[in-house]
Amino acid sequence: MLTMNNISKVYQTDMVQTHALRDFNLQVEEGEFIAVTGPSGSGKTTFLNIAGMLEPFSEGQYMLDGIDVGKLNDNQRADLRNQKIGFIFQGFNLIPDLNLYENIEVPLRYRGIKAAERKRRIEQCLEQVGLASRAKHLPQQLSGGQQQRVAIARALAGEPRFLLADEPTGNLDSLMARQVMELLEQINRDGATIIMVTHDPELARRAPRNIQVVDGQLADFTLYQGTQNLKAAGV
Amino acid sequence: MFLHYLDLSWRSFKRTPLVSFLMVLAIAIGIGVTMTSLSVYHMMSADPIPEKSSDLYTVQLQTMDEGRTWWTVDNMPLQLTYQDAVNLNQANAGGKRVTMVRTGFSVYLDSDKVKPFIGQARLTTPDFFDMFNLSFIYGGVWSAQQEADAAPVVVINKELNDKLFAGENPVGKMVYLDDASYEVIGVIDDWDITTKYYDLNNGAFNKTEQLFLPFSLMKARELENWGNTNGWKHEKTNTFNDKLNSEMVWLQFWVELKTPAEKQAYQDFLMAYMQEQRKLGRFNREKLTATLRDVNEWMQYNNVVSEDNEILVGLSFMFLAVCLANILGLLLAKFLRRAPEVGVRRALGASKRQIFFQHIVEVAMLGFLGGILGIILAQVGLLGVRQSYSYYQSLATMDLTMLLSAPVIAISTCVIAGLYPAWLVCKTNPAIYLKSQ
Repeated sequence: MLTMNNISKVYQTDMVQTHALRDFNLQVEEGEFIAVTGPSGSGKTTFLNIAGMLEPFSEGQYMLDGIDVGKLNDNQRADLRNQKIGFIFQGFNLIPDLNLYENIEVPLRYRGIKAAERKRRIEQCLEQVGLASRAKHLPQQLSGGQQQRVAIARALAGEPRFLLADEPTGNLDSLMARQVMELLEQINRDGATIIMVTHDPELARRAPRNIQVVDGQLADFTLYQGTQNLKAAGV
Repeated sequence: MFLHYLDLSWRSFKRTPLVSFLMVLAIAIGIGVTMTSLSVYHMMSADPIPEKSSDLYTVQLQTMDEGRTWWTVDNMPLQLTYQDAVNLNQANAGGKRVTMVRTGFSVYLDSDKVKPFIGQARLTTPDFFDMFNLSFIYGGVWSAQQEADAAPVVVINKELNDKLFAGENPVGKMVYLDDASYEVIGVIDDWDITTKYYDLNNGAFNKTEQLFLPFSLMKARELENWGNTNGWKHEKTNTFNDKLNSEMVWLQFWVELKTPAEKQAYQDFLMAYMQEQRKLGRFNREKLTATLRDVNEWMQYNNVVSEDNEILVGLSFMFLAVCLANILGLLLAKFLRRAPEVGVRRALGASKRQIFFQHIVEVAMLGFLGGILGIILAQVGLLGVRQSYSYYQSLATMDLTMLLSAPVIAISTCVIAGLYPAWLVCKTNPAIYLKSQ
């Protein structure tokens, strides 16, 4: 479903070249739930942004559902993103002026879905995340956990095949984090492919597949774990 | 999607009411100033008789001797001599023709209901009313016979009829002009032309006359010319007849020519007329010149719209540009502050084009609101102009074209000012803001 071959991402300034990703290779199959871990600055978010077509890559090939993303223009990438990908962010990223209903409506409007169908999907998604009665509330009237559930509802409303979550529980307490994780697991069981960046080892363990990013590359899990153990032992 | 963008624009307006209001106010002030000067310019330069302005021609003949000069760009006198005006009117050439001159009277009735006052009058031939598209409320124009007989008849305008006869049908009633009585035979409806194109000698924007009388009365009663009289050589003019036979120019002459062929034929006729007159010792120049100018050409030739007015319009547009430069700065600040939200929208599937149009619609909405407020400010400005100078009474107004132009100018200029901020915000990298928000 998602294939990245030798993807590199270089941030260029006048003085410095920073390799955020280098020769990054990954194959993701339909229906997988993958947790992406790694130290800060390792390139996890860059990988997620490239996977979500929010950032261009410098080299390599990225195929999404058989489409060569590197050959698409901005409008085509926006269309593809809108149709196939849902985003969940650490900071929720709800639009403060819009109520929950309108926030969830945003991606559906860009897709050109008719009002009646939008209404059906929004109500269904709000029901799914347990916030049906709060549709007219503004984001700031909700707790962090509730806001993240709205963000998940927004991601689900477009019925994406791909859900990209960047530290979705990073701003939540453990109870709320667990609830959100359970929701994601349910969504995965319903058929969505999920790639989740997280720092939380407990959440990572709950994902069927774990990958680590170190220095912009997929790391050997055993080697990486060994390094961590040595660090923990003070060596 | 357009309505959705409008909804988002209105929410954005409410989110930052002070900044939004400042922008609307800046646009409104710019539009108010621009529309005030532009409205005056528009009314000054407007075609006063668009349905037939290209069919009506005024005649200029080069009557001066060789070596004599006039102050016009082509050295042509602006009016005609009495003998030429009468000859051209009587000749069987061209379509409808009008010879005329401005005069005036002390006007009063055979009662004490109306105090005597000075009335502006025009001595003219009967085609005047039909040629310049005047319509009658009561009665009609004098006949050719009455013209030939210098009949003491008068056509008055609606305003004068309201004043003298309370708006009732006055046909058959008498009105006193100076020391003679005249029978009212018709009342013309309001004649609201911004430019008095048929006689530009004494103020292009003066009001049209209140009284219209047969041209032949001038000779019969030796009525004075209240317009300009110009001469180019020393002549003996001790009597009224001397003036009529002189080379002094003081009459206006218009002819209606509906096709280029008619115009050419009339031009040929004028040349033949001058050749004929040459035999009588007139038109002594080696090269004979006769000019036909239609209404708009005549207005342009007479610099009805002065260069000062054009400069004023230019300056007001520059002021609008300054206002827009301020708006551009405010828009930049406002839009870039919203970059994180744009990042979210881009992540959720909005294309750069959609983001761009969302912001352009917002700018257009600000322009529209500024345009509406600008119209109100322009009305205040025009009221000030009207109250300061009675000369501008009919000019300092906004017609429908200007009323519709104000929001169009406001929206289009705002959109131009908003292009850069909208482009800047739509090309921001969404990834930067998604993590940091």
